[in-house]
Amino acid sequence: MTDADSPVLDASVLDELSASVGGDRAFVTDLIDAYLTDGAQQVEQVEAAVAAGDPEALVRPAHTLKSSSATVGATRLAAMARELEFAGREGRVDDAQPSHAAALRAEWDAATSALRDWVSRGDA
Amino acid sequence: MSDEVGIALVVDDSRVNRLVLTRQLAGLGLEVLEAENGIEALEQLRATPSAIDVVLLDVMMPELDGYATLEAMKADQAVRHIPVIMVSGVEELDSVVRCIELGATDYLTKPINARILAARINASLAAKRLHDLQAEYLEQQRQLTATIERQKTELSRFLSPQIAHLISSPEGEHLLAGHRRQITVAFCDLRGFTTFAEQADPEELFSVLGEYHRMMGEVIVEHGGTLEHFAGDGVMIFFNDPVLQEDHVERAVRMATAMRDRFQPMAERWKKRGYELGFGVGIAVGYATLGRIGFEGRHDYGAIGNVTILASRLSSQAGPNQILLSQRAVGMIEEIVEVEPVGELQIKGLSRPVSASNVLAVR
Repeated sequence: MTDADSPVLDASVLDELSASVGGDRAFVTDLIDAYLTDGAQQVEQVEAAVAAGDPEALVRPAHTLKSSSATVGATRLAAMARELEFAGREGRVDDAQPSHAAALRAEWDAATSALRDWVSRGDA
Repeated sequence: MSDEVGIALVVDDSRVNRLVLTRQLAGLGLEVLEAENGIEALEQLRATPSAIDVVLLDVMMPELDGYATLEAMKADQAVRHIPVIMVSGVEELDSVVRCIELGATDYLTKPINARILAARINASLAAKRLHDLQAEYLEQQRQLTATIERQKTELSRFLSPQIAHLISSPEGEHLLAGHRRQITVAFCDLRGFTTFAEQADPEELFSVLGEYHRMMGEVIVEHGGTLEHFAGDGVMIFFNDPVLQEDHVERAVRMATAMRDRFQPMAERWKKRGYELGFGVGIAVGYATLGRIGFEGRHDYGAIGNVTILASRLSSQAGPNQILLSQRAVGMIEEIVEVEPVGELQIKGLSRPVSASNVLAVR
């Protein structure tokens, strides 16, 4: 469902973001913190909605996670969240969803460490 | 950019996206308010509609999406003028087109390019400032109009309605400055007034004069005459200025006969109280100079010319219930007026005698 070749983190997105705020690296670091805090909750909400078989409850966290992930360059995660959002909108919580939720969790963990790496690289 | 750049409202369900936009807008000097969805945004807008200069609205949001929020804004008189910039993902461009059709000012696609954001914001703020200036200007104009209307009402208590209107009209200055025009002048006064004024109590005098002036005032207005002045029992009215009246002679004569008709029952009542009063009118037509007459602090709108002198003299020559019409005036309305010649009159100040006629009836 996603392009396996695309990286977990598109660093060019973060570079552009950084440039768009006048190279304010501290801001980007804070933004990533906010993303990791909110995103962790949204992933949990997605998992809960899938476990409960509740497509409506799926839409909101998946949507927000999609758009925040795109902003910080977690493009693969954004695409996965988007799939789940649309599944929720269309009322599809079929057998495939738990595996999608699990894949989302794995991608989230990968994105989290990639973002932390990016932050620590910049600090160095 | 200047200090007071403006206040933006950022509407997005993602805190991360709000943080980014807020930071970018702050970099452009804007103050930023945030809302998590359309419902919150509408609440903030309605609470302080005048405080927000531009709204950045995410197209896709839970609760109330950008499309519905925009629709609600445009339906609300208090907030519909606030510029709205739609913020969308690339895959949502179809919705953006709908939003622009609905009245969105502009759009941005994520990720947001700082320079494009600056350009869009500046354009929207300029439009908003123009709108605010216009609104301010309209309000000033409304107040000014209200003041002028009030002044007109006040003026019309002192002046003839035509003059009151003239003063506040666009051509007012030109007409007030002085112009020449053919007019018909009617001069009315009371026979026996001097004797009456000597004999009557002041209260009686004012009550009779008041009744007479009220009647005269009504008839003058009915016929569209311009009242130049009241002086005791004397009243001077002219026609064809400042409002043009093709039938100015006819109007003056019809007015005079209406006054004479309405004077009769009044005279009879006064007679029972012992006062013998008669009504006389002189009417003449000719060119006069009209405009502002007087001195700083006290100006009147008046007419100067032989025509006013002639009308005044004819009035003093008129017997009770006579309406003396100058020869020229008779000639201009021959077909509708029934007259009896009164011969040649010696008029003070005029070298040659003047022939005049008494109006018996108007057809």
